[in-house]
Amino acid sequence: MAESEQEIAAATRRGPGRILITVYAIFALAATARSLVQIATKFGEAPLAFLLSALAGVIYIVATVSLVRGDRASRRVAKIAISIELAGVLLVGAASLIFPHSFPVATVWSGFGSGYGFVPLVLPFFGLWWLRKTDRPA
Amino acid sequence: MNGPLPTLVTVLSLALAAWAVVLLIRNKPVGRALVVGVGVLEVVLVALVVSGIAQMIGSSRDFSRATFVGYLLGAAAIPPIAALWSLDESDRYGTTVLLVALLVMPVMILRLQQVWAGPVG
Repeated sequence: MAESEQEIAAATRRGPGRILITVYAIFALAATARSLVQIATKFGEAPLAFLLSALAGVIYIVATVSLVRGDRASRRVAKIAISIELAGVLLVGAASLIFPHSFPVATVWSGFGSGYGFVPLVLPFFGLWWLRKTDRPA
Repeated sequence: MNGPLPTLVTVLSLALAAWAVVLLIRNKPVGRALVVGVGVLEVVLVALVVSGIAQMIGSSRDFSRATFVGYLLGAAAIPPIAALWSLDESDRYGTTVLLVALLVMPVMILRLQQVWAGPVG
């Protein structure tokens, strides 16, 4: 039997989902605040790195908000945001090692998130796993 | 920053985190006593914000002031939000939420001190 949107939302936020949302919220705060300061004060030094930091911040915000909302439509948004995040951390992580001169300033995703204890690398896997685990047939 | 407040925040956060670990091991939810502890931490954090901004205004050194204030306010915002978010769920996942937030605090203080010490960067 199909569950109501409220039940789906509650299931998204419940248990491990609550920890997931906590970590996303912390990264949303950290990445966004950092990139705003960087862009405001020294954008010219490394525009690519700063724009990537800002993109990461926006993706973390979208993931946090959509996981908190947790209904069917929000879960789709979260899945897309987290997939982009996964692609971002893998591509930027690899690029920052292969072309270090393009990334003179570290972003959240540089070195696969090594500056943040590799949490940025693990987080999207955790997120996609949780969305998959709590998925219910429509 | 000068003064004992940053160290006090780190020590208090780690002590509360250890407390949360004990609750986790015993499979207990966040109790009233731990919430009071987080309240005490928040009082110290408000004092840290006031003292930090006062020290910044009194200093003529070159450091990233916007980042510094960002870390001050960010650090003060985390415990109350995490406490509300964890109390919503009265099981070990709620306790884990609070534990994660408390373990972030020493990192925030470390970064705060790096920003305070360093030149614009």
